[in-house]
Amino acid sequence: MNEPLTIWVGAIVTLAVFSYLAKENAFYRFIQHAALGVTVGMGIVMTIQQVLWPNWAQPITMAVKSVIRGSGSAKGLLWVLALVPGSLWYFQMSKKHFWVSTLVSGLFIGVAAGLAFKTWMLLIMPQIGASLKPLNPFEGGFTLDRFLEVGSNFIFMASLLTALLYFFFSFSTESKLMGKPMRFGRLMIMVCLGGMFGSTVMTRLSYLLERMRFLYQDWIRDQVGGLFTWLWHQVAALLGG
Amino acid sequence: MVPFLAKFYNLDRRWLYLAMVVILSVPVIVQIPLPPGATSATTQGLYDLVESCPEDKVILIDSSWDAGSASENRAELECVIRHICRKKIKFVVTSAGVTVFGPEFANQVIEPIAREAGYVYGEDWINLGYKVAPGSIGLLIDAICKDLHSVYPTDYRGTFVSEFPVMDRVKSYKDFAFVYCVTYQPDNAWISFVKGQFDVPVAFGCMTIAAPGYYTFIDSKQLAGMLIGNRGAAEYEELNHKPGLGRILIMATSFGNLMIILAAVVGNLGFYAARALERNARGGTAR
Repeated sequence: MNEPLTIWVGAIVTLAVFSYLAKENAFYRFIQHAALGVTVGMGIVMTIQQVLWPNWAQPITMAVKSVIRGSGSAKGLLWVLALVPGSLWYFQMSKKHFWVSTLVSGLFIGVAAGLAFKTWMLLIMPQIGASLKPLNPFEGGFTLDRFLEVGSNFIFMASLLTALLYFFFSFSTESKLMGKPMRFGRLMIMVCLGGMFGSTVMTRLSYLLERMRFLYQDWIRDQVGGLFTWLWHQVAALLGG
Repeated sequence: MVPFLAKFYNLDRRWLYLAMVVILSVPVIVQIPLPPGATSATTQGLYDLVESCPEDKVILIDSSWDAGSASENRAELECVIRHICRKKIKFVVTSAGVTVFGPEFANQVIEPIAREAGYVYGEDWINLGYKVAPGSIGLLIDAICKDLHSVYPTDYRGTFVSEFPVMDRVKSYKDFAFVYCVTYQPDNAWISFVKGQFDVPVAFGCMTIAAPGYYTFIDSKQLAGMLIGNRGAAEYEELNHKPGLGRILIMATSFGNLMIILAAVVGNLGFYAARALERNARGGTAR
């Protein structure tokens, strides 16, 4: 990974991408198209290498070898049957026989829906329980920590309820009763969005920083510096010789 | 003063890019020590998990990041591995469903630290490699928790895991002390399945941009801890008493943040100055 050629290519590509900041240019466009091509090519290779070969082709070839040798299990041959539902997907290309593909897509949708339901139930149910927070500062004796915790819980509950209220379609924002709580809810949502925006800026900065660290440490200091040192030694050796 | 400030309103944005590069270069080249801030509860939660890890258990680390999110994930993994190695706890590394380059990038971080700590590959730690998650990562996580050996019959180099002693100690979720997932944006399925279904503590190391979405899970104790970008890593390094990459990067980020705040202030002043000049030109009075 840290071979000199990789670092040099990485540095040149990084500079090419950064050159877009100064002006749109052919060098940048070349790198952009090359990146797209590499991504698509890599996707195909990875699908074959990581999915099709180990999960489908390898069990079949191993089973075939077992059958030829006359020892071991031929159970892997059953994977040939996967071709039947797999090939049904290609009926999406036919207008007349499109319905055939719905047999297999329906199966996938069913599995995905079931799994999503389980995932979200396990995720959200504890959230509902955790949203019910104690609001009595005198419970278990009054202390400053307890008071601050209850204060925090009040802010949480107010934010939760008013933010939910804001999304009620049936209440008008001009309503005398609901208007102010809804505005507070909107304010809380804006605070949250502000926090998210700040996080976004931090992440973008760290992207830039990582590239700069790469350019300075891995490329300029180690590679370019190393190249100059090597050249210097060669010149010194020539002169000395 | 007003005409000078008005120039900032229509400033060529390339000057800002240049200023940002110059300002960020300084802390990258010359390390500037700034005092560390207080440790956040999310970082402390993860640190406490490692500290309280039983000796007979193994930590499952899902390191699913590559060059795209190395800017924060590298430091997040490095500091935790350093702590785990100091505590002499065994660990297993997976890369579930996100990037095929995960194992390679994980090794770059782990191998030097493990070697320094006297860890032996296969005895004290193992990298099981990348596994694709066809359809849903939830299914893969579920399978990892139920039978790790069936999901990973070999390590990332293709050697059968039965040849590695560390894998004798870890078969399913019952052997996990906790799961630490480091990636750009960890999938909620880790919480749903590992914590929700098997009641094994879960901690995340995520990019700062993804962190706001996980705070609710910290509050509900579904997440035991979380490292938030380089700041989280820097805080962890302070707890470790071993400043590292996180500290360097967060210092530089602080300079960048200051630059953005300054640019926002100057840009707004420029906006008002330009508006005042425009009013003045139309016969009004510049305030």
